[in-house]
Formats: sequence, structure tokens, C-alpha cells
Amino acid sequence: MTKKKLLKIGLIVFVVGLIAAVSLVMYMFNKPHQNVQDAAVDFTTSATDLVAEYLSEPEKANEKYLDEEGNSKIMAVTGKVNSITKDMNNQWVVLLKEEDDKAGVSCTFSAATNSSAEKLFVGQTVTIKGVIRSGAAYDEDLELYENVIIEKCDVLK
Amino acid sequence: MKKLSYLFFVSAAVIALAAFRPVAGKLVSRNAHISFFSHTSLEDITANNYKVVSTLETSTGDVVFSVPMQSFEFEKALMQEHYNSKDFLNTKAFPKAKFEGKISNISTVNFSQDGTYAVDVNGNMTIKETTKPVIAKGTVTIKEGKVNATTKFNLVLADYEVAFKKGKPSTNIAKEIEITVHADYLPE
Repeated sequence: MTKKKLLKIGLIVFVVGLIAAVSLVMYMFNKPHQNVQDAAVDFTTSATDLVAEYLSEPEKANEKYLDEEGNSKIMAVTGKVNSITKDMNNQWVVLLKEEDDKAGVSCTFSAATNSSAEKLFVGQTVTIKGVIRSGAAYDEDLELYENVIIEKCDVLK
Repeated sequence: MKKLSYLFFVSAAVIALAAFRPVAGKLVSRNAHISFFSHTSLEDITANNYKVVSTLETSTGDVVFSVPMQSFEFEKALMQEHYNSKDFLNTKAFPKAKFEGKISNISTVNFSQDGTYAVDVNGNMTIKETTKPVIAKGTVTIKEGKVNATTKFNLVLADYEVAFKKGKPSTNIAKEIEITVHADYLPE
């Protein structure tokens, strides 16, 4: 092999390597957010059971459902629609809560899924899929029960 | 018949009183928005959170905010992962941040009259395991019985042991970030 040929191969390897490295960095930097609705459901539960689980053993529940990098578990939660409201980002928020429960599951929809929340009505029993952000707890300073939060929601067919 | 019309007047009066009852006592906000903004010459970073719960006691001025940390959303997924991770906010171990404070001049706010009132807020912010005092100026707006509060203040990240010692975060994230709060309150 001539020196020239060797140099040519070396250069090609270097350029290909460089393109791969730059693409990887660009991909990492611009990688899309977790697509909650395309992801598989990790846990199927009811609003009542999820709230009870958090109220009895909050640390264990956080360990089970929350992810260190914020890509927490995908939940499919069944419950009775208690209220339907709109947040400051124009997203529908559906609260799944049984009358006797101390807290419920607050499900925030997104621009892409808002239309399916609009079809719901209070009193209806539905299953909603979303990513969990935090659990239910009694907060002594608020003097209130806080709901479980799931976001990027849609109604599960 | 007389009895019936008497009953009608009483119930009408009760309904009217209930409808025009001035906002007082404990107010709760389940519709709020907290954002933070970091500016450096290299990059501007914003994150938004719409899942904040807050209470405001109109008689004492006591105000509480509970912030679910994983609900902050960034434009870039990688940034959001960094923010949540153990090295930075460690949101799995500390899923909520809290502000507990007081509006010191709450007596100047007339909750039964429409208007915009300048307020002084002071209290303690707890992020991860650190609690630090915060002083901020804010505005309380009363409009047609609805109460809205806004404030803007700065936080020094190092105060809460959120430190970026090396790499991109240390150059691209400001040492001091601006927090903006909007909250709509309703009677409990």
C-alpha cells in the first residue's frame, strides 16, 4: 500500500468519525422529549388505589414511579371525572377522584390531546394515560391534600 | 300564599348574599404558572410549570406555594434530564419545592373592591434540603371577585447547592435565575 493510499484511507476514516461524532452530539442536544402517548404503559391502576398507595407509603411510591432524569413511569389511571378545568397554558386538566377519597389524580392534557378531554363529562368513568410527575400527600402548610399529578395525558381508547 | 312569598324572599336574599359575598378567608390556587429564566451570553433558558398549588390567607397574609419539581418543562429534552438529575435538582429524591411566607402589608389589600395592590412578600424557600429567606415585590389584583397574584424575584442557585462546576452547564446557566409567578385564587 502506498503512503498516499494510506493517507487517503486515514482521512476518510477521520471524516466519517467526525461526522458520526457531530451527529451524535447534535442528536443528544436536540433529542426529542419522551413521547408519552407512544410509550408503553408501565402501570395500570385506579385513582383510588394510586392515591392510597401514596398516602400510606410515599417514599416507596416515589421510588417505584419517579425517574431520576424526570422520565417517570407511564400510568394508565381509571377513575371518575370530578372536574374539568383549563390551566394557564390552555391545557385541559381532568381530575379523577371518587367522592370519598381525600385526593385524586390531576391529569393535564396537551395541545395535541385537548380535543379528547373536551368530550369528557363530570361523573363519567374513564381511563387516562400520562406520565407521573408527583404523588398525593397531605401538606401541613397548605392544610390541603395534594393530588397525584400526571401530564401529557390522553384518554385511553 | 303569604308564607310562600316570604319563603321566596328569604331564599332570594340568601342566594344574593352568597353570590356577592366578598372574597375572604383562605383562598386556594390550583391554577398557577411558575417559570424560570436564565440568561447568559451563550444561551437563554426558560422552563415552565403549570401544576403549582398555592394558598393565600386573606386575614393574615400567609402565603404558601408547593411546586412539583418534575413538572418544569424545558424546550430541550436533554436540558430537562440534566435539571432533574442527581447532580442538579435531584427531583426523584426531592419531588417538591416549597415557599412559605407572608404578605407583610396584606391590610392594604381590599379584597372586596376591584383594584391592583402592590404587596411585599417575605418568607422561606426550600429547594432540596436547603431553606433560604426570599424577599419579593408582588401585585395582587382583584377583579370581579377573582383574585390574582403575581411576583418576580431572583434566586442564586448556589444558595441551594445547585452548582455547576464543569462543562456546558457551568457556562450556559446563569448563577442567578429569574422566577416569575402567576396564580389565580378561588375561595376554598
